[in-house]
Amino acid sequence: MAELPAFPRRKLLLLVGAAGAAAALPGLAACGSSVGGGSSGGGGAKALKVGLVVPRSGVYAVVGTDLQRGWELWLEGHGGKFGDYAVTTVVADEGETPQTGVPAVQKVLQSDGVDVVVGVVNSATALGVRDTIAESKKILIVANAGAEDITGKARSPYIWRSSFTNGQISSAMGAHLAQSGFKDGVYAIAPDYAAGTEVIAGFKKAFEAGGGKVVGQAKPALGKTSDYQPFLSGIQGSGAKATFCFFSGAEAITFVRQYAQFGLAKSIPLYGSGFLTEGNVLPQQADAALGVQTTLHYTDQLDNPANKDFVAKYTAKYGESPSCFSVQAWDAANVLNRALRSATAVDGDTISAALGGVGTVEDSPRGPWRFEGQTPRQTIYLRRVDRVGGKLVNAVVQDLGQQSQPA
Amino acid sequence: MPMWLEANLVSVLNGLAIGFLLFILAVGLSLVFGMMDVLNLAHGALFLGGAYLGATFAGGGASWGGFLGALAIAAVAGLAAGGVLSLMTEPLRKRSHLDQALLTLGVALVVSELLIIVFGDDPLAVGAPPGLDGSVDVLGAAYPTYRLALIGIGALLALAVYLVVDRTRIGALVRATVADREMVATIGVDNRLVKAAVFAVGSLLATTAGVLGGPIYGARSGLDSTVLILALVVVVIGGLGSVRGALAGALIIGQIESLGRALLPDLASFILFGALALVLVLRPRGLFSGPAAAPR
Repeated sequence: MAELPAFPRRKLLLLVGAAGAAAALPGLAACGSSVGGGSSGGGGAKALKVGLVVPRSGVYAVVGTDLQRGWELWLEGHGGKFGDYAVTTVVADEGETPQTGVPAVQKVLQSDGVDVVVGVVNSATALGVRDTIAESKKILIVANAGAEDITGKARSPYIWRSSFTNGQISSAMGAHLAQSGFKDGVYAIAPDYAAGTEVIAGFKKAFEAGGGKVVGQAKPALGKTSDYQPFLSGIQGSGAKATFCFFSGAEAITFVRQYAQFGLAKSIPLYGSGFLTEGNVLPQQADAALGVQTTLHYTDQLDNPANKDFVAKYTAKYGESPSCFSVQAWDAANVLNRALRSATAVDGDTISAALGGVGTVEDSPRGPWRFEGQTPRQTIYLRRVDRVGGKLVNAVVQDLGQQSQPA
Repeated sequence: MPMWLEANLVSVLNGLAIGFLLFILAVGLSLVFGMMDVLNLAHGALFLGGAYLGATFAGGGASWGGFLGALAIAAVAGLAAGGVLSLMTEPLRKRSHLDQALLTLGVALVVSELLIIVFGDDPLAVGAPPGLDGSVDVLGAAYPTYRLALIGIGALLALAVYLVVDRTRIGALVRATVADREMVATIGVDNRLVKAAVFAVGSLLATTAGVLGGPIYGARSGLDSTVLILALVVVVIGGLGSVRGALAGALIIGQIESLGRALLPDLASFILFGALALVLVLRPRGLFSGPAAAPR
């Protein structure tokens, strides 16, 4: 303490400033370096640092948990390596909105100096980090966010997707309903936000192309609607023969239960985008969900060897069945492994080129798929909620064939 | 007109069910705010606590035992929580609303985080007790039995609260404290006790509303702020510290949320706050803030 006066305050401030700059420096340095993240340049042990940005708090925390489990399960089953690269994972909390998600991506890129970012549940976050990712020339594998623009209008060579697009899933249902006797009238309902709008747009386009007629449409406020009775009355009054909807999480539970409580389930069958009955919401919907049909790129009931193996390992480790989210993260690891088997460096351009050459992924639990315009072209399944052995599951009704991201 | 009513009966009934539930929730908030000038932003968290209790005891295969047990535990927990909140806000009684809002908002955040830690972040559904879990036919439209029962329970509770506040000595004391706290203190009543009692009973009603609302709203993180906002709107529309105001406000909001949205689906997102804005313009003190209700 006595020495303090001899240490001019200005100098102290300078020191503090320098320390701050130094703290920021590794991030900046990592942006420029081709290897980054603690790996030594040539030869020896090769390392890859991955930033897994998934929600660990907020309404999507459930999705985040499933993503993280899928990711960890792949690594565990493959010695923690992509090709020859030993993988270290840094997990960051995406939170609920871009206000938390964008800084989380920046954080793993800049202060953790990761080589690859995986995750991102919220589409707004995925679109919000586009420029950050492009400037840092690192790869982002979007393991959930379904906005068309991510691999459409706002495409970047550094952003790839291992999940789905909103329209891909709903347009398959649109085409299916147009062919199955509901041409004269379907009511479409989805929350009033970007994904809801895309889902309905994709559905309508395919349904109307097949000669179908949408007799009514509603957009309940997202996250503010706890009682769907007014909309259910609207559906009943519209004369619709079927309802197509898109809800997820708590809203999916409420909507499906109230749809049954108000007696609509008996007269107007409920169809939806697969998230309506996927994962942890299904046991909560209970018997109200029986018979609800949805389209999705996965169900844990798929009968293929890769899925049987995946479900067995996942259930043994985590005590519950995997969801499509688990598979999306599992496949993100899967394609990175394929890319890094051939890649000679871990910079964004090299990995991006390698991802382009991955070809058909034939060992995915969801069935074979391949990148088309940096997003999966994959089989969409028609599923129906059935009770199998006392447990509600999404049983496969029909294989609706390989689907691309709608143009 | 009968044709119109027939077409919209389900919406009207539903507005009643939601309205009575909102009344049970909001009356405590209104009395505490109107009486002791304490803005309790933790009120929504109390509701959510009740909802989670309901989900724990009556989730999945709901039974009457589980449902009534949840109600009893929620009542006791609500009383205790109200007492604690009253103690916590006591040192701030001379300070501004902002300080109280900060404290109770902090409590609300801590409580909702604790609820996530205890009950997980999965949204939970709550079943109605046996016998009430089906639907009944109302003029050809199916309507959930539980909601009909809720209208009855809500009306009874509203009547009970009204009689206690309006017809008993304790109620008179409460109303007097709302009207002029200092004057009540000068006649030798420790109004901290009155405040603690009202706080405790108001919180009890909030947790009870949480259990009762479970079969409609379920239990999920984030529900606390949704219902808190609804309760605040009810209080603003009805006027502070008035039981009649809270009842009228709650029934109006119930109809707006239900009938209003059914008739004007395109305005569904705005209609609630539109009504609030209208009341604020026409009757800034609320519809029922008569002379008995805190003319400050």
